[in-house]
Amino acid sequence: MPAGGYFGRALVVDVTSGTSRSQPLPDGVLRGYIGGSGLGTWLLYQMGTPGADPLGPAAPLAFVFSPLVGTPLTTSAKFAVVAKSPLTGMLTDALASSQFAIAGKLTGHDAIVIDGRAPELSVLLVDGDGTRLITAAHLTGLTAADTDRRLRSELGRGWRVAAIGPAGERGVRYATISHDGRHAGRGGLGAVMGAKNLKAIAVRAAAKVATADPAAVLAAARDLRERSFGPATAKYRELGTLANLLAFNAISALPSRNFQSATFDGTAELAGGAAGNAGGAAEDIDGMRRVARSSCASCTIGCEHIYRVGKGRKVRAEYENVFALGPMCGVSEPGAVLAASARCDDLGIDTISAGGTIAWAMECAQRGLIDAPWLRFGDADALLRALDEIGARSTPLGSLLAEGSRRASATVGGGSGAFAPHVKGLEMPGYEPRTLHAMALGLAVNARGADHNRSGAYEADLSGDLVRLDGGEAHVTAAVETEDRAAVMDSLILCKFLRGVFTDPFTEWAALLSGVTGWDVTGRELRDTARRIVMAKRVYNIREGWQPADDWLPDRLLNEPLSLPSGRVAALTADRLRAMIGSYYAMRGLDPQGRPDRTAVDDLGLA
Amino acid sequence: MLAGGQSSRMGRPKSGLEWHGSTLLRRTAGIMARVTSGPVVVVRAPGQGLPELPEGVLVADDPREGRGPLQGIAAGLAALSGRAEIAFVASTDMPFLHPAFIRRVLGVLAQSEGTDVALPVARGYKQPLAAGYRVWLAEAAERLVKEDRLRPAFLFEESRVRTLDDAALKQDPVLAALDPDLDSVLNVNTPGDYAAARARPAPEVTVQLFGTVAKGGASGGPHLVRAATVGAAADAVAVVFDRHVTAALNGDQITRDRMTPLAAGDTVFFLSADAGG
Ligand code: SF4
Repeated sequence: MPAGGYFGRALVVDVTSGTSRSQPLPDGVLRGYIGGSGLGTWLLYQMGTPGADPLGPAAPLAFVFSPLVGTPLTTSAKFAVVAKSPLTGMLTDALASSQFAIAGKLTGHDAIVIDGRAPELSVLLVDGDGTRLITAAHLTGLTAADTDRRLRSELGRGWRVAAIGPAGERGVRYATISHDGRHAGRGGLGAVMGAKNLKAIAVRAAAKVATADPAAVLAAARDLRERSFGPATAKYRELGTLANLLAFNAISALPSRNFQSATFDGTAELAGGAAGNAGGAAEDIDGMRRVARSSCASCTIGCEHIYRVGKGRKVRAEYENVFALGPMCGVSEPGAVLAASARCDDLGIDTISAGGTIAWAMECAQRGLIDAPWLRFGDADALLRALDEIGARSTPLGSLLAEGSRRASATVGGGSGAFAPHVKGLEMPGYEPRTLHAMALGLAVNARGADHNRSGAYEADLSGDLVRLDGGEAHVTAAVETEDRAAVMDSLILCKFLRGVFTDPFTEWAALLSGVTGWDVTGRELRDTARRIVMAKRVYNIREGWQPADDWLPDRLLNEPLSLPSGRVAALTADRLRAMIGSYYAMRGLDPQGRPDRTAVDDLGLA
Repeated sequence: MLAGGQSSRMGRPKSGLEWHGSTLLRRTAGIMARVTSGPVVVVRAPGQGLPELPEGVLVADDPREGRGPLQGIAAGLAALSGRAEIAFVASTDMPFLHPAFIRRVLGVLAQSEGTDVALPVARGYKQPLAAGYRVWLAEAAERLVKEDRLRPAFLFEESRVRTLDDAALKQDPVLAALDPDLDSVLNVNTPGDYAAARARPAPEVTVQLFGTVAKGGASGGPHLVRAATVGAAADAVAVVFDRHVTAALNGDQITRDRMTPLAAGDTVFFLSADAGG
């Protein structure tokens, strides 16, 4: 076992029988996959039954920690939740940060993997005394936040809780898992947990984890902390990601009304004040008032900006939830968007998938494909009603939309698949592919589906270093590079919002990992690790039925060019996308169909 | 862009003339790059030194020196063959060339199937060096040069030319609003022309600031300022245009290049470089 950072074992719990075992994790695996998203991929490949139903008992759900958890390094209190996604049928890994990460790891495990299905709705407890299941009958239907509060008061000090809301219990395919008000949001992990009849997992620290070179890690932590106060993170500290709203609208990168446009006429209202206040972004804005700022555990950046409308509830507003429940659904009232966001939190559903699926349904209603004349773009009451029907699965429409836009469009038909806003079944985040061509590629080829966290290729589009409307080789290189960086950051784990402070990222990350573990990792090795992790996700997906057609974008984006205010036309043709995907495959060492050869697979050490 | 002319009346190469902290060549190339989706080709005399050019600009050589504009047109169009169907040909010395002018001329050419050349007749003169050409005319132009028939008029004789007078050009409301006197075709030939052009105020542009950029500098805007380059626009609103800031021109291409030229009516958005989630 390495000199620090790990316990060298995973806890595997079978909730059908309530039994558990400890599984050793070989050094080579830890070094090759690090932790978080990478180690989670390896675990899922090992433990998942190929072809299993993501909502069946044979599909494992893994909470995976990382070597940096528990160190004083800023933004490191994070973990990954990894499973086969009920939306995509492929790998999904959601990251979240909270005290749960620290307490979970200090149960003495690098990962907690859950299998089976509990006989009744239960809470899984893990601490130094082992594992046990207790009934969750009294928690049925509660929000994740209320579940957290109740359990902590019942269990006493030191317990940390990850829980699902009512939507997870009802199998909404994009339900979330929440803890300390943060969410493992994307891909439907809450539904997987609900399918295991688990309302919550509570963990309590019982062990200490060693650090190989405590002095070096402390020095690095101080240095990173200093850097985290600098200009590279100013946006996150001072404004939060909500500042993107006005900027993206200005550059036609803000998808609205289900990708029918890349600007939104209600942006100024939503982001506060008239256009004359364009830059004032998000601070004490008209209607929406910033009342607090906070941060995840162990973070010195603090990007969470909490808003309130009138005397309403305090809600965390980030670009993605405001985009998905605002412009995407045509809603411009700040209060309504915050209320919808709060409703998603209460139900325990992913705001991006909820907003995307509802926006698609609004367009279907407009075209007469769905009989719900009340479901109109821009109607805040309709948005809230749709969210409630989805969370409760209380109506046929609610049940249909609880399946996500891909499945719903297959049911509705009538050509509605062409404008269903998803890749591989995962709804699209707020980045317009037609005006961000590097991002278009990143979204198309990503293992998780349409996702802005595993592929940060928009960075290249927004950098000015390439022509964002003219995708080509430079965009492919950028997409590969950002995907590689994300693979390492998501496995170490460090928050992406810290990425701008690193000047030589792979080398600096290697030094951090070496200080914690005692390994002599180099930047070069980490680059190989990144490629291994990206490849392993693809290999997992192939095993679960991935086809070349899955690396693609919704037809609408390829067939409906956008006219920009500058007079230019932004088009992303199928030919251009195909060419970029071809280059991406070549750069990743895949065949033209996107598959690796036998040797490449063997090198992954998965078997 | 033809950069190889004699500049005899100017007394020094026009392409290197200073223009609001940049050069005339850099400006014209930047304006062309903003409008077209294909490459910009600068044609120079054999061995001619050029000032710094924006990234992505191609350089072609005139095979022989002093053969006049038709040879430059031939060399430029030849360099584009296989890469574009139509091209805008400009000389270096048009400091007020407006993107809307290029867009208008190319727009007419693209939409007139039976036309080989879209030839502005602006401010009373034919403007062969501010005109649109079909790229395949390269062959005919080369032949004419070989035959020593060195004036563009010879090429027009054997092409289908559509002339655009002032009124036709200004049918485009954007051009009419932003360049009402068609200053786009004004060229500077003498030190006097140059001094007079240089004495004009920089174009009026709108600047808006977003995110942390707004917090660091002036308020978000919009601010009306006079600036001939993106860098000057940043200075005008006290934005430090460093690696943490990018500029989006008219909401379109994003740049970090201070020398990106601006024209009347442009809007510049300054954004945090780390825009995105
Ligand atoms: S920057 Fe934001 S998301 Fe990242 S760790 Fe800090 S508070 Fe959490």
